[in-house]
Amino acid sequence: MASLELRGVGKAYGRKRVLQDISLTFEPGLALLVGPSGAGKSTLLRLIASAERPNSGAILWNGRAGSGALRRTLGYAPQAVDLPEDLTAREFALHIAALKGLSLAQADKQFGAITDAIGLHADINNRIASFSGGMRRRLIFAQALLGEPEVLALDEPTAELDGDTARKLGTLIVERSKNAIVVVTTHLADELAPSARAVLRVENGSVLPAPGMRLEDVA
Amino acid sequence: MSASVISASSFSTSMLRYGRSRALWLMLLVAPIGARYMLPFEDGGGIKIAVGDALPVMTSPFLGVSLGIIVSTLLLPIAWLYLRSNTTRRQPWQVEEVTAGSRVAIALGRFGADVGVLLGILAALNLAGLYLSTFMLQGDAVNLTELSFALWVVAAPAMIGLAALRILFDTRPLLRSGFGDFAYFCIWIGSITAPIVTDKAEPSFGANMWDFAGFVTPLKYGAPEGTDSFSIGGGFLATGTIDLDVMAGLLSPGYLESRLAWVAIAVALVVVGGLIYVPHKAKKRAVLTGRLGALLNAGRPPRAIPDAPAAKRAFASALNLVTAEFRLIGSGRAFLLLATAVGVIAAVAPDFRHASSPAALLLLLFALSAHAGRAEAHGLVALTKVAALAPMARRAAFVVSGALWATLLALPALLRHPPLETLALASATGASAAFVAIVLSTLTGSSFASRLVLLVLWYGYAST
Repeated sequence: MASLELRGVGKAYGRKRVLQDISLTFEPGLALLVGPSGAGKSTLLRLIASAERPNSGAILWNGRAGSGALRRTLGYAPQAVDLPEDLTAREFALHIAALKGLSLAQADKQFGAITDAIGLHADINNRIASFSGGMRRRLIFAQALLGEPEVLALDEPTAELDGDTARKLGTLIVERSKNAIVVVTTHLADELAPSARAVLRVENGSVLPAPGMRLEDVA
Repeated sequence: MSASVISASSFSTSMLRYGRSRALWLMLLVAPIGARYMLPFEDGGGIKIAVGDALPVMTSPFLGVSLGIIVSTLLLPIAWLYLRSNTTRRQPWQVEEVTAGSRVAIALGRFGADVGVLLGILAALNLAGLYLSTFMLQGDAVNLTELSFALWVVAAPAMIGLAALRILFDTRPLLRSGFGDFAYFCIWIGSITAPIVTDKAEPSFGANMWDFAGFVTPLKYGAPEGTDSFSIGGGFLATGTIDLDVMAGLLSPGYLESRLAWVAIAVALVVVGGLIYVPHKAKKRAVLTGRLGALLNAGRPPRAIPDAPAAKRAFASALNLVTAEFRLIGSGRAFLLLATAVGVIAAVAPDFRHASSPAALLLLLFALSAHAGRAEAHGLVALTKVAALAPMARRAAFVVSGALWATLLALPALLRHPPLETLALASATGASAAFVAIVLSTLTGSSFASRLVLLVLWYGYAST
């Protein structure tokens, strides 16, 4: 079974310590990271997605350190992306698919299916410049799902979305978590919590189990 | 809040933003580098300035005017691109426009900052001129005061006028768009050619007002009696030398007054800009309809297959990446239409090196810098750097794709030209342009620097 292990991980920006001595093991299933703004949720997610390196400790994918193997099977949706305004959503998705090393023809079809499920398909041939905030959020989400990622790191995927669209994304997230490690940061855990294997509270640089859960439940 | 406080705040905020602009350092380098390659050197290098078909003897004030000509021919359009596309292009108008602050005061503050930056660039050019004068002029001919005076009198009003136009063009919806850039280009060409109107006129304030670029009178007035023609460029044969009293031209009747008048007009334009300011509207992007729309838009997306399987890994991911980069460089049907036009030029032009190749490169430099800039945007690299293929692989694929596009655009030229030489030149220039684009975009995170440098390089390539 795939596993992603954080072993004594710490992160600081200059003198400011954001995370310290985090030890967690993720296995397939949904894990939610909750907590107040600025607590370090996004930083933890960036570490999980190998977008940043920890100052201390190690991150192991299937028991091995190094980001190469993880990146071959990773889907990452950051909170903010400088989307290329002059491309269409489809062109952008195929750009990402090429970087993931995916077959472009198959990725095109898969992108059609994903965007159909989240109500974006009618607009995929339109330039991103014409997209609203919610459409951009869905596009960032859709590109993360391309391929068959074994690890999905999603930073506030339902922010700026209306309730109905957020539920559609939630359905896809839960669906994916049956076979993949899905880590989601969110302010609003209510919708996804019943399906989550773990709800973790990030606070003061540490990760604590949410009320009613034990840290060991994560693995 | 008083107008002066608003102006001061606008000025200091803009200066703060300029101070953090890495592209500004590039701009500060463009002027001295332009001076090195464009000044008329004795060995025949650079751009020639001839008065009465003879080359003027190099003096300090003539060197200053020569630097002023560099400002008019090279720096003004580049500075326009910089002001319109860099650090202060985005303003918080959504918030700003609902405040009670005077638009005139805000405009004057921003104008002050733009002027400060442009005059900084002029100072860098001045320093370059001082350095170059030490080996372009004989020891006793070096007069730093006359050199600087000539440069600033000629170039500073033009720079200040440019800053004013930038502010003015930010005030109206139509001028904020690409049409504004086109309009500026027309004004720039007009400003350089306008002095023809007063070609035979006696020097006066009125006649000098036609010379916004400011270099015509200093060249004409100080020339010996009966010399009334002058040429600037590289494609003519000059015979002998001529003594030119540039200082007499600078101090001729009405000249200095006209330069000061242009500065006053610039300030007035800014005030007018503040008065006629039209607030922004949150606009929906215009979608072309009809036949033109069908030609240029991507059309309806293909029907979705809800149960489409997940994409598998590509058989040859490197080739896959080159294909993707190739497509994205040529994305948009407008590019394909222009590429077709370039292909037609390649098929019919008798000179590949001086017609077809520059035409293809001009198209490609915009496409390459656009894609390099969007792919290297810092906010996107944060996402793409965690992809399976490393960023360096994408950059390599980009260079290969640039070479492929240039080769493809050169194929029609094989009807008229030897294949080996033609394709070698095309692929080498395409790869070089792609390399420059991706290196500069990687360093700066945008397309501005790469487009700027590629345009300068293209100008050199096309004119030699």
